[in-house]
Amino acid sequence: MSHVDDGTLHAYLDGELSPPEAQGVEAHVAQCPACRERLEEERALIARATELLAQAAPPERDLPPFRPGDIQPPVRLWWQVRLPLAWAATIALALGIGTYVGDHNGMRPALEQTPTAPPTEFADQLAPNALPSAIARTRDTEAALKRQRAPERRGRASQPAAPPDSVAAAEEKRKEERIPQASADSIAIRESNALAVRESPPMVAGGQHMAAKAAAPAPPLPPAPTPGRLGMMRVGDHGYALKGGLIGVDSARALLGRDPLVVPDAPILGIYRARMVGYSGVIVEQAPDSSTVIEVINARPASLQLDAIVVTGAAEARADSERRGAPTQIDRRVDTLAPAAGRQKTDSTVSGFSVEIIGPLSADSLAALRRLLRPLRP
Amino acid sequence: MSDVSADSLAEIYRTTYRALVRFLYRKVWDAERAEDLAQEAFARAVVHKPENARGWLFIVAANMARDEARRAARERRHLTLLTAESREGAPASDEVFQAEQERAQMRAALEQLTPRDREVLLLWDAGLSYSEIAAHTGLAQGAVGTTLARARRRLVEAHEAGEKGEHVARG
Repeated sequence: MSHVDDGTLHAYLDGELSPPEAQGVEAHVAQCPACRERLEEERALIARATELLAQAAPPERDLPPFRPGDIQPPVRLWWQVRLPLAWAATIALALGIGTYVGDHNGMRPALEQTPTAPPTEFADQLAPNALPSAIARTRDTEAALKRQRAPERRGRASQPAAPPDSVAAAEEKRKEERIPQASADSIAIRESNALAVRESPPMVAGGQHMAAKAAAPAPPLPPAPTPGRLGMMRVGDHGYALKGGLIGVDSARALLGRDPLVVPDAPILGIYRARMVGYSGVIVEQAPDSSTVIEVINARPASLQLDAIVVTGAAEARADSERRGAPTQIDRRVDTLAPAAGRQKTDSTVSGFSVEIIGPLSADSLAALRRLLRPLRP
Repeated sequence: MSDVSADSLAEIYRTTYRALVRFLYRKVWDAERAEDLAQEAFARAVVHKPENARGWLFIVAANMARDEARRAARERRHLTLLTAESREGAPASDEVFQAEQERAQMRAALEQLTPRDREVLLLWDAGLSYSEIAAHTGLAQGAVGTTLARARRRLVEAHEAGEKGEHVARG
């Protein structure tokens, strides 16, 4: 039997021979001392060559994140599912009325007037009952305030509406705004709604219908048909972020003044601008695995920040609140963040810079992902 | 569909990126440049969505490295002269010096191989199989083992000769 050639020996040692070929080599080597010796020589040669090649290796570095660049993320259902408040926003849209309310923290969610309007446009429309004490006071002053607000809102609303409609709409508005608040507020909602019903007899049926709707919604709101990527998401106690357009990494850095934090090794689907009142924000969409999409929201307080909001265009209402000793300015600084109960997300604040992850995962998984967050390097 | 290829490409990126950088480094001898070229190769793969992405990446990388080498060839000749002069004046720490010397010896040894032997050796070291190497180089699959055997032997011999030459020169 002929000896095994070098090429075959190397292929054998490299594990590149088919099983029958390998068996042939083994059978020959077993009864041929010369080939057995060559086999060991070649084995040593391969080891030496591999060792030498290892000397000519570049320094080991971390695997840079894979960025498939211009691949567009498909529009997904999760987006709608995870925005319970979009439902409330849709009602607001249908009624054609938008308004703004501040809460005891000073910062209150903006409800969309139109799907594309940035929240800042509502800044001057903060309703007087945003004042901390005003919320507690609502019940007894509701009737007085309503008389002034109703015509005022009607004036602002783009489409003409009958007076009773506006009253009911304003009530509905207030109900929606309180949805994220503690359940204690829901009592106030029902009471104020009852007020509205009493106040406007022609709307009794409609008002009760609304009341029924408003009483139900709080935690598991059904998904609403939110348009594309323009929608709002709740971000801790920052209020709401409006997801803006796709931006590049460099723009994200410029917005944040630092590298955005991302989950390492998870492909980045896209980086979006986040529009938040008082904050510069960036939303990084990532896919830790093929079926999950998370959003890492990076935000820092904007350099231009509101210190106070003075309510205008509601002279009598303000006079009313001054008489009762309520503050007329709202402190808008939000430094402490407390995760809202029942929402699956996690956030933290480091010297004003805050990060939050939102995704269809358990709170524990999100917390684990949060610990992994690292600055995105080029 | 585009999702699938993006996913599989992400997976290939995870498993192949470092090997591609290593492959390129031994052609351009500059770690940063090798990383740039590897990124560029993956960027092209995202656009072209080749069927056999791994093999395709190495072909593209090899072409890019060749272009790079041609462009740099003219400058390199007198740059080598300059660095050879300046190196004597700059005392490096022993370890850095040693590592650099080993790398230079390896590079010299690798450059003594024929282009085909070197290519086959580098592709094998980057993790490609015999059939992938055959597809890349146009060799018959049966000839890959023979080529590898020759390349390995020449590399080891050239390196030993280089070491000996070094000792003679020092002694």
